[in-house]
Amino acid sequence: MPLLEVEKLEVCFSTKLGGVKAVNGVSFGIEEGETFGLIGESGSGKSVIGMSILRLLPKNTHMSGSILFQESDLLKMSDRELQDIRGKKISLIPQNPTASLNPLLKNGEQISEIFERQENGNVKPWKAAIDMMESLLIKNPELSAKSYPHQLSGGMKQRLVAGIALSLRPKLVVADEPTKGLDSVSRERTIDFFKHLNEGSERSMLLITHDLDLAYNICDRIAVLYAGEILEMGTAKEILDSPKHPYTRGLVHSLPKNGLVPLEGSSPSLLNLPEGCFFHERCSYQGFECVKVHPDLKVRGGRLARCLRL
Amino acid sequence: MKMINPSRWQLLWFGRICRIPYQKVLENKIVSICLILLGIVLLLAILAPMIAPYDPNAIDLKNSLHPPSTAYPLGTDHLGRDVLSRLLYGATTSFVIAISVVGLSLVLGLLLGGAAGYYGGWLDETISRLMDLFLSFPGIIFALAIVGALGSGVLNLIIALSLVNWASYARLMRGQVLSTKNNDYISSARVIGASDRRILCRHILPNSLAPVVVLATMDIGHVILAAAALSFLGLGIPPSIPEWGSMLNAGKEFMRTAPYLTIFPGIAITFTVILFSLLGDGFRDILDPNKEETGLAIA
Amino acid sequence: MSPPLIEVRGLQKSYNGSMVLNGVSFTIMEGETLGLFGISGSGKTTLGRCMVLLDRPEQGEILYQRRDLLKMNSKEFSRLRPSLQMIFQHPESSLNPRIKVFQSIAEPLQIHQNLSMSELHYEVAKLVEHVGLKAEHLERYPNQLSGGEIQRAILARIISLKPTFIVADEPTSMLDASVQAQILRLMMKLQERIKVAYLFISHDLDVLRAVSDRIAYIDNGSITSIEKNDEKKSWIS
Repeated sequence: MPLLEVEKLEVCFSTKLGGVKAVNGVSFGIEEGETFGLIGESGSGKSVIGMSILRLLPKNTHMSGSILFQESDLLKMSDRELQDIRGKKISLIPQNPTASLNPLLKNGEQISEIFERQENGNVKPWKAAIDMMESLLIKNPELSAKSYPHQLSGGMKQRLVAGIALSLRPKLVVADEPTKGLDSVSRERTIDFFKHLNEGSERSMLLITHDLDLAYNICDRIAVLYAGEILEMGTAKEILDSPKHPYTRGLVHSLPKNGLVPLEGSSPSLLNLPEGCFFHERCSYQGFECVKVHPDLKVRGGRLARCLRL
Repeated sequence: MKMINPSRWQLLWFGRICRIPYQKVLENKIVSICLILLGIVLLLAILAPMIAPYDPNAIDLKNSLHPPSTAYPLGTDHLGRDVLSRLLYGATTSFVIAISVVGLSLVLGLLLGGAAGYYGGWLDETISRLMDLFLSFPGIIFALAIVGALGSGVLNLIIALSLVNWASYARLMRGQVLSTKNNDYISSARVIGASDRRILCRHILPNSLAPVVVLATMDIGHVILAAAALSFLGLGIPPSIPEWGSMLNAGKEFMRTAPYLTIFPGIAITFTVILFSLLGDGFRDILDPNKEETGLAIA
Repeated sequence: MSPPLIEVRGLQKSYNGSMVLNGVSFTIMEGETLGLFGISGSGKTTLGRCMVLLDRPEQGEILYQRRDLLKMNSKEFSRLRPSLQMIFQHPESSLNPRIKVFQSIAEPLQIHQNLSMSELHYEVAKLVEHVGLKAEHLERYPNQLSGGEIQRAILARIISLKPTFIVADEPTSMLDASVQAQILRLMMKLQERIKVAYLFISHDLDVLRAVSDRIAYIDNGSITSIEKNDEKKSWIS
């Protein structure tokens, strides 16, 4: 039984200009102990899916489908039930560590205050915080715990934020774009850090990213998103070593180290999605059917993909 | 909901100064209603000479302290002057004072605050210390002191209130300019060779104005209140010129026998101040560039 | 051997007491792309800004066509200004959010030339074609454009001045991978067309290897090495 099961999730924002279909019938599952990646560029819907799982979207969002976590539907839960889940069973490592840390609290306090709020008499909050920081390879944990966020480097701040997310031992961690805007050295370190985090852990992780290197290195399986749909899904190494869907292939080849071959055009407006395949207008393998028929996600050529030409 | 269609050239003219989202103005119901009501009040003030039933300064001791009746809809005061007419003319006075004070404060604030923020260095130091000085005095007391020194009268009242007020605008403007200055598009303008003047007028000013506009809008109400307070205390406007605050002042002696003398000007002041507060609130929401469509911002 | 377009000698600059640039020297030839690789805090952005005189170094020389920019008076320098341009890292703050894209692109022309409204429209239309934008983009405001579209608009704005040197400060690091490839291709094609030299600042070595003729490495305010790059991608027109 998968830990998390997303079934035909649809998310629609109503705006003055019409309905924006950010997520268009997405289904996937995450097993216990698995690291699953949602790969996509801006506007693909990956962040919206992450936010939906945490129920952090604004109240006027229209959602349908189901998100089953340990067999209960997150979309149907009340605010109080969600309070029990957030932070304790599902938590978030947010995108911008600097913005997520309280500049007025000492680093140790950022973690220990979480322990203080739990009614567990056995745990000494400060010590638990230092232990956590040590396990995250934060340098000089005792000293760092007594200093403030602005005294930490970017990489250390990220570990601290991860520590906050992991302090209550959640079963599922959502990591939102951990390498966004980082220089190459920091990116390497972050990749190593996440590898260390997930090694031998029973915890599942949902990684939201556009960084293919990161996904290759730490994800077990990935789903490639485009215009609110999954275009290809499978094991990370298989998909990134030999991508099948034209979009995935274009994406992989547009990386500088793979030839820097640009994908022409831009992703479609979510207000006005094209008929047929959402990607066909930019696709060099476009066929007659692609213009009219919207492909569904099924196994084609040995891979779960949404393309009529495979 | 009434549809208002501002004429095309009005839109073009104002729109060139800063990009005002007319769409949003018309959709925000509170702002639309406030603007309509404000328009009505201003119209009444402007047309006072034509619609006031009596001369506001005509003394008629025979008819003094008349309660509201058909002849005198809002009654008469202790000198037999018609309250309604005084209220209408008083609107003009109050608005003239408020708009002058806010206008003067705005000009001083934009110039000094803008210069301090943009040029920095000793200019900033000097102007900031000046701002600190003026801001350190408690408002009404400061105004009292100035009016006391200059003497009463409309012009002196305007000067006093402007001196009290300008520093808040300058401080706000300076802060806005400082943060706008750091944007890449300002650096970009310098690199393509734009002059300081062009950068200030075309790039910095329009992007710094929004909170200042909100402040000015809400301030009009506060100034009316402050002018009323000063007149109530007997300073500021000579009692012959109709003004809401001085009407309150004159009427306070007759609170038990003729309460309407204080009630009507009181309502007028309260109503106008609330109107401007709501308008300022509404403008703040409209002019906030961070208010994007929620969905598109996240995706 | 033709003389270098730009020669930098011994630049030094400090901020708040710490040395940001510590004796930086290098040359850039006409039409060349010099990559600059460094991590955050290495001084690369400050160096870029000094090259177009947005910041002034405390010591050193910046020779453009053999004349020292730092010793010129403002009149001389303002004549050279159009030739030395810069692209910034964050698309969302690179254009004035309150004016339409058309006006942003037209601004350099308005400052340096005296064109009529119709001439201006014509020139802007041509520029926009070169960068792959459409007429409808001109009527929009920056917040209605995607990151890639904004960078294209900025390139249009800059090339209207026919620069000989552009500092590109991480122009694609905030863009999606596929868009990055498009913009890099555009920049390289523009280089072919108007023979502009780039100082391409990036923390992504893969990007630099694809676009640079030579790559300079900067660390703690000093250039540690400059190497020739053989992996530059050729864009067949």
